Amino acid sequence: MRKIFVDYTRCVACKGCEIACAVEHHPSRSLVGLVGDARTQVNVRVLAVEHEAFPVSCRHCDPAWCMDACPAGAIARDPDTGAVILDPARCKACGMCAMVCPFDAISFKVTHASPDGRETAYKCDLCVHRVREGRLPACVEACHSGALAFREHAELRRDRATRNLREYLLGERAMPETFALFRELRRREFARRREPAP
Amino acid sequence: MERKAPKRSADPAGVEMLEIAEQGNLDSVWERLEAQQPQCGYGQLGTCCRICVMGPCRIDPVGEGPTRGVCGATADTIVARNLARMAAVGASSHSDHGRKVALTLKGVAEGKVTDYRITDTEKLTAVAAKLGIAVEGRPLPEVAGDVAHVALECFGKQDDEPIAFLRAYMPAKRFERLKKLEDDLLASTGARYGLLPRGIDRESVDILHRTHFGCDADPLSLVLQSVRCSLADGWGGSLIATELQDILFGTPRVKTVRANLGVLEEDMVNLIVHGHEPILSEKVVEHALSDEMQQKARDKGAKGINVAGLCCTGNEVLMRQGVNVAGNELHSELVIMTGAVEAMVVDVQCIYPALADLAACYHTKLITTSEQTKIPGALHIQFEEHRADEVARRIVETAIDAFEARNQGRVYIPPQSEEAVVGFSVEEILKALGGTVAPLVKVIADGAIKGVVGIVGCNNVKVRQDAFHRELTAELIARDILVIGTGCWAIAAAKAGLMQLSTREQAGPGLKAVCEQLGIPPVIHMGSCVDCSRMLVLAGALADHLGVDVDALPLVGSAPEWTTEKAVAIGTYFVGTGVPVHLWPVPPVLGSPAVTKILTEDAKGVLGGYFFVEEDPRAAADRMEAIIAEKRAGLGL
Repeated sequence: MRKIFVDYTRCVACKGCEIACAVEHHPSRSLVGLVGDARTQVNVRVLAVEHEAFPVSCRHCDPAWCMDACPAGAIARDPDTGAVILDPARCKACGMCAMVCPFDAISFKVTHASPDGRETAYKCDLCVHRVREGRLPACVEACHSGALAFREHAELRRDRATRNLREYLLGERAMPETFALFRELRRREFARRREPAP
Repeated sequence: MERKAPKRSADPAGVEMLEIAEQGNLDSVWERLEAQQPQCGYGQLGTCCRICVMGPCRIDPVGEGPTRGVCGATADTIVARNLARMAAVGASSHSDHGRKVALTLKGVAEGKVTDYRITDTEKLTAVAAKLGIAVEGRPLPEVAGDVAHVALECFGKQDDEPIAFLRAYMPAKRFERLKKLEDDLLASTGARYGLLPRGIDRESVDILHRTHFGCDADPLSLVLQSVRCSLADGWGGSLIATELQDILFGTPRVKTVRANLGVLEEDMVNLIVHGHEPILSEKVVEHALSDEMQQKARDKGAKGINVAGLCCTGNEVLMRQGVNVAGNELHSELVIMTGAVEAMVVDVQCIYPALADLAACYHTKLITTSEQTKIPGALHIQFEEHRADEVARRIVETAIDAFEARNQGRVYIPPQSEEAVVGFSVEEILKALGGTVAPLVKVIADGAIKGVVGIVGCNNVKVRQDAFHRELTAELIARDILVIGTGCWAIAAAKAGLMQLSTREQAGPGLKAVCEQLGIPPVIHMGSCVDCSRMLVLAGALADHLGVDVDALPLVGSAPEWTTEKAVAIGTYFVGTGVPVHLWPVPPVLGSPAVTKILTEDAKGVLGGYFFVEEDPRAAADRMEAIIAEKRAGLGL
């Protein structure tokens, strides 16, 4: 199973993934081209959950809730990559897909792909055009800190297990000390905000 | 529903206003912080480099991505460069303020600026004497001209000798230590590292140069230049601002004021002065209090004009004119939300651009005055020293004219305000001590006072407003540690009622007895953030009296809610002067273990001063007490 996997402990919240996604899905394919363009599509959003940041996008479920729920038949599976693909031309913007999505990964607006200038659903397309060429999805390519990986789960699991075992067995720190300190300080900062007011 | 406001501010007036903001769905700095989450970790760690256009480059702190920027800069280089630029901006801000004061004094001395005069001749002769300028038998304007000349030379001279103000004011042992350090580094490495500032402007320009694409990549070299640039601020630009403002407007004397939003008056024209420089605000206060303007306000149906301060402009007019202070940095939006402010006149630094949109929701006029601080949506009334009276009158009249448009239905002024005894210039402290620092040294030696902690300003929206300031201050005085300070901390302490004579009841027995004897509070307001120089001068006086270096003294600095680049410069000149400095929040350096180590460990051996980080007020006080104990032991106390 090959998917975009998120290691949120490594997410630095730089939002480089958001920018890369926006450029990749903009007709101009350029950062300059999308500035000020409200129809720009950003399929991944780095959300803050307390001190953690998590890049949220479509998980490409199988079977997919959204696909089952769509009465218009606008959502289909790409046979090569397994990606769940939304066709804006068929979308009636009923909102069923967004309601059933467990990850709130579907949004609505007028994008460059929307027909007749009406609002339609849009979501991550797994950059299938890139993946077919053997390239990584744009967000994954943009991620510097290893928070996003597009890999077979078995490989990922083995690497993570080995890394963690090196920490437990050999005392090797998986994370540099100052970065671990930074994370801990942020955790405490947000914990303090949760505390009842004195 | 959970109440957000009490978590956002420890100040009851702040909490009341935040609840009004929430009900009215008003945007504020707290809301904008939430909207900015999550904030980029590269920026927070200091490993984002935007210096050239081969970039921007980021060094991943997790170790997954590239470990060098396109040019080859490592995380250590990038963090050190970014930090140096912060110090340069901070030092430039303070120092440029000082320059304007020096130019005004020069204009007054030459008779070209007639709206100001030399108010404190005693201070003028004292400063002149300190700088080695002949005073005897000379007309005062001539002496003032020489003082201004020496000050301006500190900014622009081109030789490699240390600047005159630092040479005249820095304690002897510290000067020798820094000189020796320069020599030792040259001897041991063959490379030149400088610590003694050659020119105030030059050290900032030096940083801009050496952090340009393809220059200094050595973290130690970059940190040392940051120290030199910051020393040019503390013992140069800021010191010049303080000393020359005292000459022009008077050295602060002890007085009583009130602090917090409750100083606003419901039936008067409320005029807020906000920013950092007293040059304009002194004039605004003068004209607002004039019979003519008070009458004009009465003609419009108000009972008169009430001027109140905010931030460090507030501190400047509080120290010298006894003007009440409405609040510190995080109060700047809240004060407008009272609906009772006719005009907020601002000069430079720490002025949120958001104030323009907020003021537009009310009848409030936001008036910008500085060439260096223009805000879209604000009314700009250009200030110039040579027509100060005219500009100040226009500002006061603008405020009076706005009174009619006030919607009394939207007015809510929180009742809180606390009395505060303020105005502690070094001269006033020495006066309380009977003319010399000897009695202070004695009570420290006796152990009645264990040591002194100097706390400086800022609020930071990431920290519950004033909470760290209040708790740390209370914690320290209870441990017989005298607390002095400036800036937004000072306003926080005043608002908390910690600057009253009765505050000594909260102090430890030793400190309490000293405060009773001297008739002072245990928490001492020394002025605005450029007045951190007053703390340096006091520390220097103690060091020279004992014939030791500053790092031997039981002194600690702290910036517990810091926000600005100016705070980087202040913290760094304290460290460069030999004082350990506490910081919270963490500065953007953790992306480089090497720079973190230089600042928190290596600096101790080299400079005597160093940084430490602590998030909990009580734990911070523990650490400070331990440092003070260590220094006392070193002195054989």
